[in-house]
Amino acid sequence: MSTPMNSNGSLSRDDRRFGFRLTAPAASLLAVLLLVPTTLTILYSLHDVPANGRSLGPFVGLENYTIVLGSSVFWRSAKVTVLFSIGFVLFSTLIGLAMALLLNQRFIGRGLARALLIIPWATPWLMIGILWKWFADGSVGGLNAVLLMLGATSDYHDFLSDPNSALAITIVAAVWRQASFAGILLLAGLQTLPDDLNEAASLDGANLWQRFRNITLPWLRPALVTVTVLNIIYAFLQFDVIFAMTQGGPGDATQVLSILIYRQLFGVTQIGLGSALAVILGFVALAGGLITVKLLYRAERQPA
Amino acid sequence: MVAGGLDRRAFLKAGGATALAALVAPGLAGRAEAAGFTGTLDMLAWDFQPDTIKKLVGEWTAKGNATVEVAVIPNLGYSPALQTRLRGGGVIDLYYNFAYNSQKFIDQGWASKLNGLPGVDDMVADMFESARAAYVNAAGDIISAPYFSAVHMMHYNQRMLKDAGIAAAPQTLKEVYDASKTLKDKNIVASPYVAYWVKEFCEEYLHTYLLNEGVTAFDTAGKPVFADDPKTEGVFEWWQAMYQEGLAPKSVLNDDPGKLSNQMAQGEAAFFVLHHYFLSSIRSLGGPESANVMQGPIGGANHTFQIGEVLQLGAGEDPARREAAWDLMKFYGWKDSAGKFTVFNQWAKAAGLAAPYPGFFKDPDVIAAFPEYFDLPMISKTFETGSKVVPARTLPWYPDFQAKVGDVVHALLLGQATPKQTVEGLTAAANSAQKGRSL
Repeated sequence: MSTPMNSNGSLSRDDRRFGFRLTAPAASLLAVLLLVPTTLTILYSLHDVPANGRSLGPFVGLENYTIVLGSSVFWRSAKVTVLFSIGFVLFSTLIGLAMALLLNQRFIGRGLARALLIIPWATPWLMIGILWKWFADGSVGGLNAVLLMLGATSDYHDFLSDPNSALAITIVAAVWRQASFAGILLLAGLQTLPDDLNEAASLDGANLWQRFRNITLPWLRPALVTVTVLNIIYAFLQFDVIFAMTQGGPGDATQVLSILIYRQLFGVTQIGLGSALAVILGFVALAGGLITVKLLYRAERQPA
Repeated sequence: MVAGGLDRRAFLKAGGATALAALVAPGLAGRAEAAGFTGTLDMLAWDFQPDTIKKLVGEWTAKGNATVEVAVIPNLGYSPALQTRLRGGGVIDLYYNFAYNSQKFIDQGWASKLNGLPGVDDMVADMFESARAAYVNAAGDIISAPYFSAVHMMHYNQRMLKDAGIAAAPQTLKEVYDASKTLKDKNIVASPYVAYWVKEFCEEYLHTYLLNEGVTAFDTAGKPVFADDPKTEGVFEWWQAMYQEGLAPKSVLNDDPGKLSNQMAQGEAAFFVLHHYFLSSIRSLGGPESANVMQGPIGGANHTFQIGEVLQLGAGEDPARREAAWDLMKFYGWKDSAGKFTVFNQWAKAAGLAAPYPGFFKDPDVIAAFPEYFDLPMISKTFETGSKVVPARTLPWYPDFQAKVGDVVHALLLGQATPKQTVEGLTAAANSAQKGRSL
């Protein structure tokens, strides 16, 4: 059987053509679904587009970007977005990893526990937001009851009306779903880890932490990179949970950039400004993802 | 008298020979409603009692009119959804809209002016003079018809006041503050005052409380004159004190009016300022305190905010279709062909909603439709002489201002801004909205 590779490791011309034909339909679809809206958004961001969208309106160059970057509303919202993203990415990844490690152990009921892991992930973001809004309610929500039972609080607290706790609660709600997604991907990665690696390390006297640090973690690195990059993108683009829980409030305590974009594009229909915000957010999410990939792969290349 | 000479007399005069006929609604009596159009009209509404909406338009169709396809979408997010549909090229013959969007929709070519349509001048002449500026702009363009109207009123728990030794319902801001303190100090109720202080609604309260102090926030040209009136800062001081001193529950920044009504019904609050028809909700909840909740005018100045969401006619150009849609609009936003307030009567029965027409309050069917706990003459009088609509609310830049108010007011309530900074913040919001393109 012939190999598709040339001696120098590259594909032959025929194989490249074949590969191109195979990917062309999907690539075309992606171009239509991604490229067209992206191009339009960039175009809109350079114009003062009328609300009715019947024309591009006058060309204003980078004026929309100047207005956005010169606005304190934008910077406050950017700060909230960064805080939300840090909490979301960190806890989603760490809790997901912990769940994956736990569910990779042998115990009675593991099958059921693994099935339960899928439930938060299978629940739509909007539904999660509505559920958590009720759960965190200061008078009828279950969160207060749980905290009282645990002795973590002495009185009922209106978490979503307090600017100090509202953002934290929205992070918890979003993490609740995203951690299960991370857990599923990382569990899949863990299941490919050969048992004999850990067994050999144990025989050599490696303790639990050493085995995790030197075997499990490096093995999971490709999956971790994927999970972290996806979490970063989800974090920057998060809208549904926060909108359902607080609509950006109280005040602007939870007004992430995606909510600001929604308000500009669909509420007050300032299409040009909203598009400029969307371009900035898209760029930030892309940069965040790329930097993470670079950092994690650099760490992989470094000798342990 | 409102801007543009749109008082009742001017309209009747403009109607000339129709003045007499206006009294018997000539645009309505005996007409064959939209007989020339046989297709299907498209109507878009938010999801308040969708079955009632369909029943009402069904009644119109049953009179030999066109069929109506009613689409209903949630109230939360209605405006973005509607604008997205219209921007995408969708043409809707008749739709609900928020009053503050109405001029913008005309300017964007999404809605039609109603001037010149048969009976429209009679409809406007039929309105309370106080209401007219919400539907007719300063240039005399008729931009919408009423879907429903309401006036902001004070709801208070009479039993609690009596137990606290307070003889009469408090009127001024200071009286309400003092009464709330007394109720709290005597442990009658922990957080006596509830208000619908979510971000989206802060703008409406702004007008309610400023009008109550005799301040109309904007002049007819849209200048934010509230900034020049020292009473504005006083209102904000009061808001901040009520929230910061725990006289209002912390959760009001997120609570929906259903929850607030229930707090009144359950005896968890003693005061609630909102549209008059919320008395209906409070009473029908059947809580231990429901029957003790009464309604009265807000404040000593007896000037409150009159609100009304609207119907707008789509921008379709087919004359027969447009005529049919206008006929449906008259039926839905004014009277039926027999001159009866059929639709408004149904909304009055269903939820205590009102219409901005003096005749509505004199109609025996309407009087019978309102539960007896409503003081209908008081509500009618409030519409007539005790309330204003703030005409600037329909200016095209207004939705932008409306969207900014919530953040500024919440910062005040949370103690992150002083009353003076709030005045400055709202003034800046109004100015930047008028300038265009700002966050």
